Formats: sequence, structure tokens, C-alpha cells
Amino acid sequence: MDDLKVNQNPKLGSIDRPNSYIGRSVPRQNAKKHLDGGGQFVDDLTLPRMVHVAFLRSPFAHAEIKSIDVKNAKQSDGVIDVFTAKEIDEVCKPWVGVLGHLGEMRSPEQSPLAKNIARWQGEPVAVVIANSRAQAEDALELIEVDWLEKDAQVDMETALDPNAVIIHPELGNNLFWTRTVNQGDVDKAFKEADAVVETTLDFARHTGVTLESRGIVADWNKAENKMTIYHNGQAPHMMQHIIAKHLDLNEGLVRIISRDVGGSFGIKVHVYPDEMAVTAISKKLGRPVKFIADRLESFTTDIHARCHKISGKLGVDKNGKILAMEIDDLSGIGPFSMYPRTSAIETNQVLNLSGAPYVIPNYKAVGTVVFQNKTPMCQYRAVGHPIAVAITEALIDKAAYKIEMDLDKIRKINFIPDNSYPNKSPSGVPLEDLSHQASMDKLLEIMDIKEIETKKKDDYEKGILSGYGVISMCEVTNPSPLFYGVGGAHISSQDGASIRLEGSGAIHLSSSITEQGQGTEAIMKQIAADQLGVKLESVRVTLGDTDATPYGGGTWASRGAGIGGEAVLKAARKLKDNILNIAAAIMQTDKDSLDIEDNNVIRKNGGEGISLQKLAETVYYRGHEIPKGTNPELLATASFLIEGIPFVFTNSAMGCQISIDQDTGIIKINKFWAVEDCGTQINPKLVEEQIRGGVIQGIGGALFEECVYDDQGNMQNATMADYLVPMAYEMPDIIVDHVTTNSGRSIIGAKGAGEAGTGGAPAVIMNAINNALKQVGAEVISQPITPEKVLKALGKI
Amino acid sequence: MKAADFSYHEATNIQDAINIKAKDEEAVILAGGQSLLPALNMRLSSPSCLIDISKISGLDDIKIDGDYLFIGALATHSHVMKNELVLKRMPCLIDILKMVAHPAIRNKGTHGGSIAYGDPAAELPALAVATNAEIIVSGQNGDRSIHAKDFYLGLFETAINQDEIVIGIKYPLLKQEQAILFEEVCRRHGDYAMAGLIANVNKIGNKVNDLSLVYFATGDKPDSADKTAKLYLENGYDYSNLKNSLNSEIDFAGDLNSSSEMKLHLATILIKKVLNKLEA
Ligand SMILES: Cc1cc2nc3c(=O)[nH]c(=O)nc-3n(C[C@H](O)[C@H](O)[C@H](O)COP(=O)(O)OP(=O)(O)OC[C@H]3O[C@@H](n4cnc5c(N)ncnc54)[C@H](O)[C@@H]3O)c2cc1C
Repeated sequence: MDDLKVNQNPKLGSIDRPNSYIGRSVPRQNAKKHLDGGGQFVDDLTLPRMVHVAFLRSPFAHAEIKSIDVKNAKQSDGVIDVFTAKEIDEVCKPWVGVLGHLGEMRSPEQSPLAKNIARWQGEPVAVVIANSRAQAEDALELIEVDWLEKDAQVDMETALDPNAVIIHPELGNNLFWTRTVNQGDVDKAFKEADAVVETTLDFARHTGVTLESRGIVADWNKAENKMTIYHNGQAPHMMQHIIAKHLDLNEGLVRIISRDVGGSFGIKVHVYPDEMAVTAISKKLGRPVKFIADRLESFTTDIHARCHKISGKLGVDKNGKILAMEIDDLSGIGPFSMYPRTSAIETNQVLNLSGAPYVIPNYKAVGTVVFQNKTPMCQYRAVGHPIAVAITEALIDKAAYKIEMDLDKIRKINFIPDNSYPNKSPSGVPLEDLSHQASMDKLLEIMDIKEIETKKKDDYEKGILSGYGVISMCEVTNPSPLFYGVGGAHISSQDGASIRLEGSGAIHLSSSITEQGQGTEAIMKQIAADQLGVKLESVRVTLGDTDATPYGGGTWASRGAGIGGEAVLKAARKLKDNILNIAAAIMQTDKDSLDIEDNNVIRKNGGEGISLQKLAETVYYRGHEIPKGTNPELLATASFLIEGIPFVFTNSAMGCQISIDQDTGIIKINKFWAVEDCGTQINPKLVEEQIRGGVIQGIGGALFEECVYDDQGNMQNATMADYLVPMAYEMPDIIVDHVTTNSGRSIIGAKGAGEAGTGGAPAVIMNAINNALKQVGAEVISQPITPEKVLKALGKI
Repeated sequence: MKAADFSYHEATNIQDAINIKAKDEEAVILAGGQSLLPALNMRLSSPSCLIDISKISGLDDIKIDGDYLFIGALATHSHVMKNELVLKRMPCLIDILKMVAHPAIRNKGTHGGSIAYGDPAAELPALAVATNAEIIVSGQNGDRSIHAKDFYLGLFETAINQDEIVIGIKYPLLKQEQAILFEEVCRRHGDYAMAGLIANVNKIGNKVNDLSLVYFATGDKPDSADKTAKLYLENGYDYSNLKNSLNSEIDFAGDLNSSSEMKLHLATILIKKVLNKLEA
């Protein structure tokens, strides 16, 4: 019943009616399917005549390929063929990962397989096609490559030095992209400030670690000129365009099917060279080809993220009012900018989002993105947020300590007021419908800082260092065309929904939004059933098939509920209208006197109605019974996109309390609190799952996850045993609460909820640790905050 | 990641396994497969044949054998943790095994496999050394018993011969005045430790009068720290003294999660942590 309170959106009608599902934590049906092992993932698929591939990948971060001899490999058992760049390039055109709307980006052409030079350890160089993956791997060992190892540019901090190794000589240096934001006059403001604080933070590269690794089956049908791709991606229509474009196919004859997907986190929304090679191979051989990345391949070829070093400066007056903020961010993205979203967006978001919850009249931000010989980097869940939030909140804590002000108070003084929207971020990005003040109030209500402070003092007496932090943040969700489309990428910012009443009385819904395990299907069902007035069980949903769903963007950047959900709502309302028109004609009454409840058209004033099944039977089988001129369409389609602003922002406030073992440097997160304002919650339980899962990923970034490289650019920990993700034991109690400010951009009012935890947890955890360490004059500034870094900070080692 | 081709032989008895192993130098024993199979899939090794011993009956016995607790090589970690005799006679083993991996792995991973594999970061080899256990192996020339101390030679290198397999481990039964204490420091629960310590303590009343210290996850094999133990007995816990002593006695080898310096620090701290348990 608690659920009912969360739906405070009058545009959705009374919650107190039959079939009101929006705002309720109804169980999602696909969970049962997965528990039962009934999911259909790419690797579950076997097609007749299907072959398997294994890639020979560069063992070096930077090396010349003097020659490749595949003779022996071709003779190996079960091998059908072995291709190098030469053969693949015959069918697949290269791509370039740049966009036109963010200033000059410079990235060279990239092909599926490396030609002449390999530029990261893991870059595909040759591919064996065989009857089984094991046979393909056997043959890999027989490929002879004459490598000439070259010096590698591993360290991003020296990438622009005069003596750096230039990764793409044609570009002259290793600069990919740079941007400066300058609002007001920071230099003047810093001079006027009563206190100025500075810090420099380091963030290690990490990656998304999806439960299901990347996978693709490409099936070229020569006779029909049709390419069918089974792919565990997030954006089927984008892939359709890209595959058609680079393989020179008729786009209408490329079909992308994304059934169950075992997690994505942004990892699966990019174009990967090995997957492009697979489609090219299928085209060449005219056979279905399967590739499933193994864990080693996942670690060295799935995009990495978060490799940043950022310095920041914050000036406040003696009352705690922020006068100016300045940041300078450096990021290394590997040897290529990823296609088609580019590898500039993470840094772009760092510049846009730093300081975003606060009134900061003078703001300057510089971002520099460089090439290096490591796995390519790109957008992973909460793109740029962890860096932006960590630098902002670390500086604010430092300022608070310096002027001796409470951590919550300094924030409250500086928030962009809840009643001042529409407003702008310090970087100039339009913001609306946010609630930093209310969310912080709610956080303080559930957190009890007084008690935490008392415990901190007691702990200190006992020799335990404990501490806490509170932060606020903005999340980028529901992007408009201004995100990618304006820059020239064929990535739809619009999503569609199509809904129909079938002869049986069942409702079928299809949407361009995709499901990767987060419960998209469930919320689509809820919205459709709620708006139509039918039982949840009567709605069937089709997602992830370019031949069967409306055109649209897919699921990423927390856009499923806010954009895809609104399209479903509009389509359901249209269908309802059609149904009521037909019913009014059949029942010889005024449409406004009718409604739909529990799969029946009812008369609001009582009296006999008609079931949807009966109505559908009449329309479909005995159409002659409906009055002439009645529109018989029991099918409705609608689309939605965000207009006028780049994003619909969400906000959240988070707190955590930690303790540190001074002997071992081990950090224990004792409790975590998160208050999220994502507008209408369609299914509160699923929203909580997003927050909790996100927080856990954020804990990963803060304390555990790192792609460790040696000086030569070899990844050292590319296994699940060595790359540490938090597991059940590492998960603290997480208390989730909400403030609800509906988005004014839609009827449904939902904003995204997927980025907060991942984006905010690293900042609040680091602040809590530094709050604890401050008692002994220590500080940590580099993530992941490992026991060794803590002991070093404490001077123990 | 798929293993290279190998042949597979399901051994019906110990002799059967020994015979194949004696004939084929590249054949390896498969017990629970929790360490071996990942290595095969990553093609870190490609043996000619897997001799599966997991179906041999009687190799998972847990029993009292004179002054020893005998644990059969095939007893799984889960099986050992639930065993009544272990609970009564060597309860520390249960606490130790709780820190070995996770339940799914413990359901398959075997006692003998862990002892025979000799991972320097594993708990059981260090326990065997600390308790002066005997490792019973069987080969073409019959059975022999090897002192745990003499069993571990170097990184994944043991005194076991090509034709031999481990059939069980004999732990001396604990005396009244004896305690086995254990502590380790991990980044995540269930991971191999950054450093771990097993202490074999003899006490009179509350006073420690004899002590041996064996570390794991510090070097290339279980690391005994006899001089440091002696120093502790003489002077009590003094962080810098003990640290210096450990530094001269053990060749700490850093890994991804902890540098050698970190391991040295943790090893020193572990002495305090372990002996604090005595008071508790
Ligand atoms: C994720 C994960 C975490 C782990 N964490 C820990 C941990 O924290 N601590 C820890 O100690 N272990 C850990 N392990 C390892 C696990 O405990 C071992 O895999 C297991 O104990 C080895 O036994 P097994 O039966 O699986 O051996 P197998 O994998 O079957 O064999 C391992 C090796 O020993 C040889 N061998 C096995 N039995 C015999 C025998 N009777 N005679 C001769 N040779 C033999 C095999 O030939 C092979 O070389 C972990 C494993 C995993 C997968």
C-alpha cells in the first residue's frame, strides 16, 4: 500500500481505480523466466550450418604486423577459413568515431581487423572460422605473426609530451578532443574568495562487467539479400543502420534481434570491431556465424571507462557561499574514439555536470582527451558522473572543513533552489524540475547525522576511524536529439510504441525500447494496462526486433521509462479512444459515458457493458455489425521525444557511513542512504533495484575495480578472479527513499533512475573515508581506494 | 576460452590411476576441478589426459587414525566443514575453510586437491605445515608419508613424484594445551588473501610457551617464520622488531592486490591479530 503514496502525478488519473498499475511494485514476469533458466540469450541460439570464430588478438599494446602466415591454421581440424584484414575489408568499410556538434574531434579510420599495426593489447588481428570454438582456438595457435614490437604510449599523462609515442602519425600528436567552458570570471572570483581549496583526484580505468558477455550471431541469407543479426545490444535500430552502411546492404533488409540481454551498462551500445568482422564473415561465407566473447576478451576489448585525472579549485566566502569553481580534466581513451558515440562524451559530461547542483556564478572547466595504447574507452553507466560528482563534492567538503561549517549546511546554502527552475547549471546546461533542497532534507531525516557524529567520537576513542559523507548530484537522463543526432549520428532520440487489441481480447504491445534485465518489459506492460484499463496478464510485449517493433533509440542513458514509457502511454490512450469510439457506436451511446475497466467497456452510470473480447470479435469477424463509418482500427501507434532541452535531469542525495581498520587499511561501508527524485516511479521496486545496483557498481569504482596495466600496456588482471567486483559480502545495507518532482516534459512525468548510484557512490564513499582520515590528518585522492592506498595515507607503509 | 583437446579416463581405483599416471608424463589428476579446469580453459596448461579420480570410492574418508585425524584426499571442503569428527577434534579447520572460496566452489573443491596443488596463497598447505601434518601419497612403489614441511618445494612445486597421487592428509591430534589460530586479510570475502597466518600455539595457562608461525599468500610456498616466532616468545609483540625479523626471514613477493611492503606489514600485524584471539 505504501506504493500508492509515490504516485503523485495527477495527469495519470486516480490511483484508486481498477487496473491502476503505474506506481505499484507488481512482480515482473520475466524474472520467473530467468529463474527457471528459460531466457534466450545469443549463446542459446544454434542455427543450421552455423560456424564459430575465434580472434587472434594482439599480444602487444603497440606492434607492427610485418607478416601473417595462416597456412598451417587453415589446415587445422574443423577449420573452414582464416581471414585477416585483407579479406574482411573486402566486405566491410571502415568507420570513424567522431561527431560534428562538439567541436573538432580527430580520430582515424578503424577497421574490424588491425592492418599493419596493432594499437592495443586485445585488438583483433586475424580470425579463424571453424566448426567449433574449441577448434578455432586450436588453430589460433598455428597462426604465425611476425611482430615488431613498438614503444607504447601507455600513460595518458605523458601522451602530449614532445617525446610521446605518436599513435597515429597522420594526426601529428595524441590529442583527440578538448573543450573549455568559461562562465563568468573565475580568476577575479578566486581573488575575492575568503577561502580557496584545491585537490587533484585520480580515477582508475574500469569496465562494465556484464553477466552475459558480448555476443552476436550473424546470418546472411544470399537469396533474400537479407542479413539477420542476433545481438545482445542495447540499440537495435542503430546497429541496423551501421551494419547496412558499412557492409553496403539495404538497410531495410537488415534485421536486428535482441532477445534477452544479460546486463549492458552502456558496454553493449557501441560498435565493436570483432562484431563487425562477424557480420562481414557471414556475408562472405553465406553461413550463420557465432561469436561469444570470453571473459579475457571482455576485459581487453569491452570498452573501459573512467580513466581520469582531474584537478579542481573552489572559492567560497566566509559564509560558505560558493563564488567560483575551476576544473581541469585529463582522460585517456585508448587508440581510437569509439563509434558512433565517440569517446568524448565522458569528458563532456564531466565538464557539464561538475558543480551542477549548486549556484556557482563563475565556472571554468577544461577537458583534454588523449589517445594511448590501451583498450578503447567510452560511455559506461553514469557517463562522467563519478568524476564530476567526486571532484565537486570533495572540494565542497574541503571548503566546509576550511571554514568550519557543517557538511550539510554548506550544501544547503549553495543549492540551486527547488523553486527556481527552469534554471541553468554552472556550465550553462538547462535544468528543470529538480529538488536538491527537498532531497537533502529527506536524506538528513533518514540518516541522523547527530547519532553518526556521536558514534564517530566514540569510535575514535576506541581507536577506530569512522566517518561519513553527504552529497548531491544531477543525473543526465532522457536525452533529446541534441545529444547525438545533432552531431550526425544515426541514433534515434525518438521512441515508438504500437499497441493492438487482438481477436482474443488480448493486448499486444511492441516498443523500440529494449530490455537488458532491468525490467523494461514489466514497466511497459504496467503503463499499457494502466492506461487501457486491462489486467496486467492480458498484455504481451515484444521488444528488441527491428522487424517487429516501431523505430527508436533503444535503452541507454536512462531513457526507457521517460521516453519509451511516454510513447506507450500515448499509444495506449489512442487505442482506448478507438475502442471507446467503436463501443459507443455499437452500444448506441455517447463515448464520454463509457470507460474501460478490467478488460470490459463499462457504462460509467451502470448498465450492461461489453467485454473487449466481444468487441474485438465483433470488429474482426462480424464487421458488418458495426455502424457504417466507424473507424475499425484496434491498433494505435505513438512516438515521443524530448524537445527543447538536451536532457531531462534527475537528482539525488546520498550519504554513507564507513569505518577503517587502521591495521589493514580495509574499509567497511556500514550503511548507505540514497534519496532519488526520478519523478513518477512506474514500479518502485524496479527503481530501487536501479538505485541499489548502481550503488554497488559505485562501490566497485570507489573501492575495488581497476584495469591494471603494466608499463608496456599489458592488462594484468583480465580475469574475474583478479578484477575485483563487489560481491554479496561487500554490499552494505542501502536505505532508499524518494522525493517526487515530475518531469513537465511528459504526461507520465518519469525521469531516469539508472545513473544515480553508480555516479554518486564513489564521491560519497571517498568523502566519508576522508572524513574519517581527517581525524589523523590523512587523505586519499585516488580511486579505487585500496587497503594499500589507505595504509600509505596513514603512513603505515 | 575452451580447453585444448585431451583424453579422459575415469579411474576405478587408486592403482588404476597410478598406472596411467606412471605411463603418461603429461597426464594429470582431476579431482574437484576447481583449480585445474580454469587453468585448462585459459590454456595455461594442456595435458594429454585427465585422470578423473573423483569416482574412486573410499577416498573421502574422515577418521581417527592413531594420534592423527585423517582426511581422505577426495573429501570436499563442504564435506569437511560438516563433519562431526572435524568439529570435535579440529574445529579450526572449519573456520579456515569458511574463508576458502564460496559454497559452490567448496562443494566441488577437495582437500587433497588443495594440498596437492600447493597454491602459495591457499590456506590448507599452510595449515598442513603449521600442524606438522603428514601427506600420504600412493605410487607404483606403494604408499609413503611426507612431512608437510618437506612437501612444498617452490611455486606450485611439491615433493610428489610423477606416478604418485595424494590419498590423504594426517593432522596430529591437538593436545590439551595446544591451539591453532588463524587469520587472514582479503580484499573481498572468499578471495585468496593478501596475507594470512596460521599459528600453532602451546600455552600454559594464558602464557604462550611455544609458537610456530606459518604464512600463506606471502611468497612462493607456505612460509615458516621460526626466528620471528622465537623473537616473539622472547620479547612479546613489538611491531618494528617483528617486522625486521620477518623481512629477513621471508622473501615477500608482491602481487596485484598487495606489494611486498604491504604483505610484510600485514604479516607483522597478523601476529597481533592472531594472538589476540588467544585472549578472547
Ligand atoms: C573463485 C575461486 C576462489 C578460490 N578461493 C580459494 C581460497 O580462498 N583459498 C584456497 O585455498 N583455495 C581457493 N580456491 C581453490 C579451491 O579451493 C581449489 O580449487 C581446490 O581446493 C582444489 O581442489 P580441486 O579438487 O578442485 O582440485 P583440481 O582442480 O581437480 O586439481 C588441482 C590440482 O591438483 C592436482 N590434484 C588434485 N587432486 C590430487 C590428488 N589427490 N593427488 C595428486 N594431485 C592432485 C590436479 O592434478 C591439479 O593439478 C578457489 C577457487 C576458485 C575457483
